[in-house]
Amino acid sequence: MSILQNVKDLVRSRSIHVSYVDVGSCNGCDIEVLACLAPRYDIEQYGIYVHNNPREADVLLVVGAFTPGWEEKLKGLWNKIPEPKAAIAIGNCPISGCVFDRRGSYVDPPVAKHIPIAAEVPGCPPRPTEILQAILSIRDSVFAEWEVKRK
Amino acid sequence: MAVSLFWYMVEFARFEWIKKFLFAKTAPLITPAHFRGFPEPTGKACQHALFCMMVCPAPGAIEVLHEGDGWKPKIHKGHCIRCGLCVEACPNGVLRSGRVLETMWDQGTSLLFSFRIAIDPDLCMGCGNCCTACPVNKLADAQMGAGGHSATDEVIMRVQGGDILVLHEEKCTGCKTCEQSCPNDAIRIARILEGIQQPIQKPSPEAGP
Ligand code: SF4
Ligand code: SF4
Ligand code: SF4
Ligand code: SF4
Repeated sequence: MSILQNVKDLVRSRSIHVSYVDVGSCNGCDIEVLACLAPRYDIEQYGIYVHNNPREADVLLVVGAFTPGWEEKLKGLWNKIPEPKAAIAIGNCPISGCVFDRRGSYVDPPVAKHIPIAAEVPGCPPRPTEILQAILSIRDSVFAEWEVKRK
Repeated sequence: MAVSLFWYMVEFARFEWIKKFLFAKTAPLITPAHFRGFPEPTGKACQHALFCMMVCPAPGAIEVLHEGDGWKPKIHKGHCIRCGLCVEACPNGVLRSGRVLETMWDQGTSLLFSFRIAIDPDLCMGCGNCCTACPVNKLADAQMGAGGHSATDEVIMRVQGGDILVLHEEKCTGCKTCEQSCPNDAIRIARILEGIQQPIQKPSPEAGP
């Protein structure tokens, strides 16, 4: 492995840019994602930055049970993120539809049907610690040696 | 302006500030033990009351599956919302989560299920499907055949003179098998959930150890 690759891995592991998208949640999980930014959990101490621009993002946090309005939009948003990238499903909603997935409801879970999901964080809502752990746990498998793995 | 900018820069050049900026870490993130996690088995034997499945508000979160000789509740992550109601509803204390069980013992609270059988006499045609389908009836009277006639009074319900007669509503386990077997949707089972609190027996000081 080249030195350049080592430098890239080091930089990528300390600088993960996160964008999050709410595809129809109750707002519970959004609040937990925001709580990660607060001093108690301080997501930036791990080099994770939230700035909600898909073109700058490495990780997309998907929140919510996928309402029909997102049918065409989520895919486009995912395509805007430059490689290497990963999507994480936050909460029960993108995994199973949670309490909204009932007969006659309009939600269309799981989100994995629409874009590839690298990790799932179950819970309604999941704790900020669990969200942090998920982002940190995919860091190595997705971003490390990305150029090598792509070949 | 220039002066204040100068002092601003001096503040950031302080050794303590630079040290803090580079090496500050928040305390390690530990989930306290009293937080409600996904329910875990306590090791007690599941008696297949299925109250956990009846009380669970999230679709597909809990299933009681056959395992070895007995039954075992299985929690599906991604569906479970960690509400802890199954822990409270289980009459045998099979599940635990956070300090839900401890609080229940401490305060003498519990969730109590009871079941009511309602049969619409205008819709019921006395076919006896429900009586034959009911698993409790099957245990009480193994001889009961199609038609739902029975010689014993121990059954929950039986067909008598062309009409359905409910004898032991209190034996119903709320499984709703009868509902599914009724061709006319005449029988309905209501699952009633009550929260109850019993006075706690505090050991009196005179009684001694
Ligand atoms: S998982 Fe629960 S808290 Fe999160 S968006 Fe869905 S319903 Fe709300
Ligand atoms: S904790 Fe709540 S949601 Fe989870 S299995 Fe038990 S009753 Fe269902
Ligand atoms: S709910 Fe189950 S136990 Fe109760 S009467 Fe119907 S079949 Fe029998
Ligand atoms: S199955 Fe329905 S119609 Fe037949 S006896 Fe039972 S309640 Fe009546």
